[in-house]
Amino acid sequence: MQTDRMETSSKEEYKIQSFDLETQKLLKTALKDPGSVDLEKVSNIIVDQSLKDQIFSREAGRICYTIVQAEAKQTNGNVFRRNLLNRLQQEFKAREETRQRSTEEWVCLVSFICNIFDYLKVNNMPMVALVHPVYDCLFRLAQSDALKNEEEVDCLVLQLHRIGDQLEKMNLQLMDKLFNLLRDGFLLQEDLSSMGRLLLLEILEFRAGGWTLSETAQKYYYSEVTD
Amino acid sequence: MSAHQKHRYENDCKPDENRNKGASRWSHCRKRGADGSLRKSHEVEEPGKCSQSSRRPESFTTPESEGPVSRVKNWGDEVEAEEMRSNVRRDMHRYRRRILEADFPQRDRKISSGSSDSRDSRDSKESPAKGDIETDETTLVRRQKQINYGKNTLAYDRYIKEVPKHMREPGVHPKTPNKFKKYSRRSWDQQIKLWRVKLHAWDPPAEEGSNLQQIEEIDLGEIMDFELDVECSADTESQCPASSGASLSLAEDTFTGTPKKMMKIEDTEMS
Repeated sequence: MQTDRMETSSKEEYKIQSFDLETQKLLKTALKDPGSVDLEKVSNIIVDQSLKDQIFSREAGRICYTIVQAEAKQTNGNVFRRNLLNRLQQEFKAREETRQRSTEEWVCLVSFICNIFDYLKVNNMPMVALVHPVYDCLFRLAQSDALKNEEEVDCLVLQLHRIGDQLEKMNLQLMDKLFNLLRDGFLLQEDLSSMGRLLLLEILEFRAGGWTLSETAQKYYYSEVTD
Repeated sequence: MSAHQKHRYENDCKPDENRNKGASRWSHCRKRGADGSLRKSHEVEEPGKCSQSSRRPESFTTPESEGPVSRVKNWGDEVEAEEMRSNVRRDMHRYRRRILEADFPQRDRKISSGSSDSRDSRDSKESPAKGDIETDETTLVRRQKQINYGKNTLAYDRYIKEVPKHMREPGVHPKTPNKFKKYSRRSWDQQIKLWRVKLHAWDPPAEEGSNLQQIEEIDLGEIMDFELDVECSADTESQCPASSGASLSLAEDTFTGTPKKMMKIEDTEMS
């Protein structure tokens, strides 16, 4: 039935399968009729879930963007965006404690902030206010105590794949500095896992290639080993 | 922890350096430590911040600020401000293009209606010389905010639904002041005030809250006629020319003159 198909597709599009049904309903209403829901509550629900759910944290930007647009169009307001950002800022401020408490939450937080940076544009430009916070997170991930955790390296390279080029445009100097750290880590740090090393090498090549992998590199990193 | 504290880290980021030591080069002139608490001279770091974490800088990056940086900033406000500025810049580019187009009209192009009045450029007396538009971002943002206050009203919503742009008559129908023209502060503020007063003619009919309509009906016996005439000319798509011609000009005087009774209402309403 068409309704079912539409239902499923919006679930898939916004990756909200992990929410309970009632919340899913609330989110869908927020998308269609933002003026009728408590947008502060909705933004909190989204942030809370993003910190717990790895998959959602990487994709939540999209639903956020859609709600922001819908609200602007319907009521000319930005209650949702403002609440979302301020809540995000709180979480960002507490990031070191979060990292101590749970690597998974920390990694989710970084993914979420970066995803928001990716999707929530202001007049088609990335939000300047988020540039330094995002860099802060990435620099943190590039510290030696983080590089030895595969989870954190994986998070770091994921973000650079997704938004590295945008970040670089916003601030080239910081990106250069970050990559100096990555080079150092790759070369000098002894307690990296071999996967960690591989991930770093790949991202170094990726940026060197202008934020894309050459065909041979692509084959090297992503093809099945044949011999 | 506020963004302001990030400004304190002026040197290059060297992650291994201990930056949160009590006595650094600058600590004698800093009132607050990195965590925001008031600093007593040569106070040792709180036990919570052991050497392990104190080695870590609060921030790796030193933000460059685009304008005055307030002590405590939240991202919501920052992004809104960003948005205002970029909207204003975008408007400015559009406006410049529109002025140029008006001077060198391209045959098939309609002058698109945007946030500022498109008729300006045709009136050579009023049209700003190509270089002579307001470009100061702070001013433009301030003016845009004032315009937004006016546009965020029910009266404005009703007005734009009732009177499409091509039906609007100068003097009769309120016209949004053009933020790109050069005006003194006082002149601009006065234009905004007059514009908003004019918009009140489209206030929604009185329900529980608004006493405005009632006051007008009771106290402004004489002026009520003008009100009706203005409504009349707004309602009819084509004008009611001769019949309401006289009263229309009176209405215009009424509004631009801001008669005392209207001013009282304005005060009450504004408070």
